[in-house]
Amino acid sequence: MSMSSETIVLPPSVSSRPAAIGLGDLPIIPVIILATIAFMAIFADVLAPHNPEVGSLTARFHPPFWQAGGNIDHLLGTDQLGRDVLSRLIFGARVSMVVGFTAVIFAGVVGTVLGILAGYLGGWVDQLIMRITDAWLALPALTFAIFLAAIVGPSMWNIVIILGLVYWTRYARVVRGEVLSLKEREFVRLAIVAGCSKMTIMRRHILPNVVNSAIVLATLMLGVVIVTEASLSFLGVGVPPPQPAWGLMLSDGKQGLMVGYWWLTVLPGCCIMLMVLSANLLGDWLRVKLDPQLRQL
Amino acid sequence: MRQFVARRLGYSLLSLLVLSLTIFFFVRVTGDPAALLVEPGASDEDIAAIHHKFGLDQPLWAQYGLFMMSLARGDFGQSFYYQTPVLDLYLDRLPNSLLLALVAMAFSLLVGIPTGILAAVRVGRFWDSAGKLFALLGLSLPSFFVGLVLILVFSVYLGWLPSSGSGGVLHILMPAFALGWYFAAAHMRLTRSSMLEVLGSEYVKLARLKGLPQSWVIGKHAFKNALIPVVTLAGINLVLMINVAVVVETVFAWPGVGRLLYEGISFRDFPVVQGIVIMGGTMIVVVNLVVDVVYAVIDPRIRLEK
Amino acid sequence: MTTRRDVLALAALGMAAGAARPAKAAAPSGQLTVGVHITLAPTWLDPAETAGIITPFMVLYALHDAVAKPMPQGNPSPSLAESWSAGEDGLSYEFVLRDGAKFHNGDPVTADDVKFSFERYRGAAHGLLKERVASVETPDPRRVVFRLKNPWPDFITFYTVASGAGWIVPRKYVEKVGEDGFKKAPIGAGPYKFVSFTPGIELVMEAFDQYWRKTPSVKRIVLRVIPDESTRLAALKNGEVDIAYSIRAELAEELRRTPGLTLRPTVGSAPYYLYFPEQWDAKSPWHDQRVRLATKYALDYNTINKALTLGYSHITGSVIPENFEFYEKLAPPVYDPDKAKQLLAEAGHEGGFDAGFYTCDVAYANLGEAALNYLAEVGIRAKLRPLERAAFFKGYADKKYKNIIQGASGAFGNAATRLEEFVVKGGNYAYGSYPEIDELFPLQAVELDHAKRAAILTKMQHLLDDRTMYVGIWQLAFISGVGPRVAESGFGLIKGFVYTAPYEDITLKSA
Repeated sequence: MSMSSETIVLPPSVSSRPAAIGLGDLPIIPVIILATIAFMAIFADVLAPHNPEVGSLTARFHPPFWQAGGNIDHLLGTDQLGRDVLSRLIFGARVSMVVGFTAVIFAGVVGTVLGILAGYLGGWVDQLIMRITDAWLALPALTFAIFLAAIVGPSMWNIVIILGLVYWTRYARVVRGEVLSLKEREFVRLAIVAGCSKMTIMRRHILPNVVNSAIVLATLMLGVVIVTEASLSFLGVGVPPPQPAWGLMLSDGKQGLMVGYWWLTVLPGCCIMLMVLSANLLGDWLRVKLDPQLRQL
Repeated sequence: MRQFVARRLGYSLLSLLVLSLTIFFFVRVTGDPAALLVEPGASDEDIAAIHHKFGLDQPLWAQYGLFMMSLARGDFGQSFYYQTPVLDLYLDRLPNSLLLALVAMAFSLLVGIPTGILAAVRVGRFWDSAGKLFALLGLSLPSFFVGLVLILVFSVYLGWLPSSGSGGVLHILMPAFALGWYFAAAHMRLTRSSMLEVLGSEYVKLARLKGLPQSWVIGKHAFKNALIPVVTLAGINLVLMINVAVVVETVFAWPGVGRLLYEGISFRDFPVVQGIVIMGGTMIVVVNLVVDVVYAVIDPRIRLEK
Repeated sequence: MTTRRDVLALAALGMAAGAARPAKAAAPSGQLTVGVHITLAPTWLDPAETAGIITPFMVLYALHDAVAKPMPQGNPSPSLAESWSAGEDGLSYEFVLRDGAKFHNGDPVTADDVKFSFERYRGAAHGLLKERVASVETPDPRRVVFRLKNPWPDFITFYTVASGAGWIVPRKYVEKVGEDGFKKAPIGAGPYKFVSFTPGIELVMEAFDQYWRKTPSVKRIVLRVIPDESTRLAALKNGEVDIAYSIRAELAEELRRTPGLTLRPTVGSAPYYLYFPEQWDAKSPWHDQRVRLATKYALDYNTINKALTLGYSHITGSVIPENFEFYEKLAPPVYDPDKAKQLLAEAGHEGGFDAGFYTCDVAYANLGEAALNYLAEVGIRAKLRPLERAAFFKGYADKKYKNIIQGASGAFGNAATRLEEFVVKGGNYAYGSYPEIDELFPLQAVELDHAKRAAILTKMQHLLDDRTMYVGIWQLAFISGVGPRVAESGFGLIKGFVYTAPYEDITLKSA
């Protein structure tokens, strides 16, 4: 579920400074996990032992190989339609990565651009963008996503667009705030004096300075997006079958949980959990590393 | 001060207008609600009659005009599926949602605050990491998964708790846990950072210099001050909980607003979906407004800010 | 059309049912809770709002009663009317009401209420009924005569089975409390009285001890909505509900394994089938009947049935429900992948072909996924396109789909009404048609002789099959679970009805 406490803009007098994370250096385990998932996503065609979308109804619900009734051919068992769970998990990494990354990047690009425009240009542009941002931020993220998904119908790319539409506002808010303070900084003033165009200033001087915050936010957002995608699948408006998305697998397998076919839910559930947890840990670390101002805490 | 409040109020109203336009636009742009109200095989006249009945045969701007006028009257329209006013349905379910949100909030604070404090006092040590991991786990697991595991363990295997519905005290425990866990991370993080900030402040240092015992410093001085932002966030999150419990309410058949939304979407019940999304957005706009104004009263510097 | 002899037989049955009422019934006791899979709508409390779907009848059978309705004794079977008869010219139908039937407020059910309910009716098929019925007369309080404009052999079907028009509400009460008042506190003539209703959550009803057929055995019946299937099963296992609707696939297997719980499959009136909208396009591969036949041979019907509905669905090979009037039993389809491949090769698709999209309702995407696997095995490679239900049916009716459609219909009627919608030229879901089938349709529509009409409709169904216009997959089984406290659950008592009914027949085991 994506209940976005991150929608909440803290009251101005409250410090929104993040805590210092005592991780010191690169959190190695999350990085390895994310790299593994990325590797699976890229080389899914080579790695997967079976076609993830085709199975045999005569080979349903085989347990993983170490359990009685399991076999080596299907290392992690088969699902309700006899499809190989391992292959679906591997291809699912691809779907999750594609959905997660594209949505986060889409939201990031839109949000950053609008945030810079609003912050730097000010005036009615700022008003227009920020009023839309405020209004959209007020819509509870999951509710808004379900609402859009129910309207445009199920397809992987629709989900990407929806998640992008729902989450760009988070970037716009943060980026605009940073731009407002950057505007007052020496180097920007110098650039103005030097006669640089607004476009140039925004591109050459402002953008590079807000990219760090956008990246931190994107990392933290990745987890939110993946969980939202799974929730949409549960409600029947997510990535449509037979695509092997983790959220969909979890949702499809939920009936099996009651019956003892644990591998249909626990395995994709673990994949989601590992990915989201890693993204969050990495995001926390990045926040401290990349954002010198915030690190001072 | 008055000027600040007026400006803030203006923004909020503008936000609400944009919100209503956004919702109206998305709802009408695709899909034909009449398709769901009639079974396959209905005649064209039946469909036309339904179009007419709900004003769907009028141009978009006229529909929006109608829509805003009725909103102004507090009329959220009639549910297609239930054939009753949306506001009645919503208000029927709201107490349940509020109850669930309150218990979930209690749980999330019960977890979030102690782990947050522990983490702040023991930065970088075991409890810091363990607390953070527990809180992050709540963020990382889709709540329907958490919900189903809870049902499996506590209803099916142990038989301690009822699987679904509402009524007794026992009914609320599992849905509140599933909902509250997700928010625990946010409360834990904020408690931790705000604790750290307070612990670093002059007066706490002073208290320490005076030789007061550590537990006294934390309990008496730091905790009280660190709690203010947490309580604020909890207030805002309470409103959010009411509006995002859709998955939890569906899993546990909890009769709240979230389930109403799920029903509205399954049946393409336009007025219901619209009503809930608008009410949700409005609640949050209002709560943000209240918080801003209250903080402005407390801290005069804010009033001057752009 | 119902002949006089049929009517007499039915009347006799009606009398028998009436006479079967025990002299002194035991007082109703106990509570039965039903875990319902879909949201209860307030419109279901009012027969006038009955849409052309089966679900409202879940509530109607408890709160209300009809002149005649599908019952264990027959479909339809006399209820508030003890008999009916048709005029020889096919232009009038007369119903004689039962003596002693009462509404929950004690008022007797009269001819006036029947006329009022018919005129008030605004649900499915009301247009059709109003267009063809010239007048409703009430010569005396126990007699109602419907006069038609033209002979209409399907009048009884539409009035008593395929709509809610024959379900009776009390005129005086409705006029007293108004439409909204009636929805808030409906009064009917059914075996259970309305107690309370929370839209979408719960409906509570209590036994009406003066019900004409018999005094219900269970004192209180609660219909509770539990949308998630796993949760519903958990509630049944936990004893929170006594009956859980719609438990599918592996959950049904688990239900079957659980001691104390009973699996109750019922086969409704919803056949699922594949349709080839491009079969009339000479350039499409589907134009070749061998390709359509190959599809028919490619599916392993029994394995699909076992996997998804535990083998309880019926493999009929037809698009007409087997429980419908004028249904013609066809040779059931067989699974023969080699033959399918051979047919494809003969049609010039050796090694298979890319078949485009396989469009279906997302709620039955699992059936689509299974079917696609089998099609792919013989070389028909298609891509699943599941659409949200409303969108799916809209696109289907707007004739937007190509390649393969996985369709279904649970609408009421008889074989003729289904053919009109799905097969004959101009039908809402007919993308094309065959002239030799089309020309038979108007002939049967005016045929008053039942046997002759049946012969025409039978011929149409065979022609349909000969052309492989559709590939019927199954007539879906609806699987429910029953808990240990229930003695008679009511499932399967009424043929073609998937929910528990008649409610007055439900009993609990004595404690």
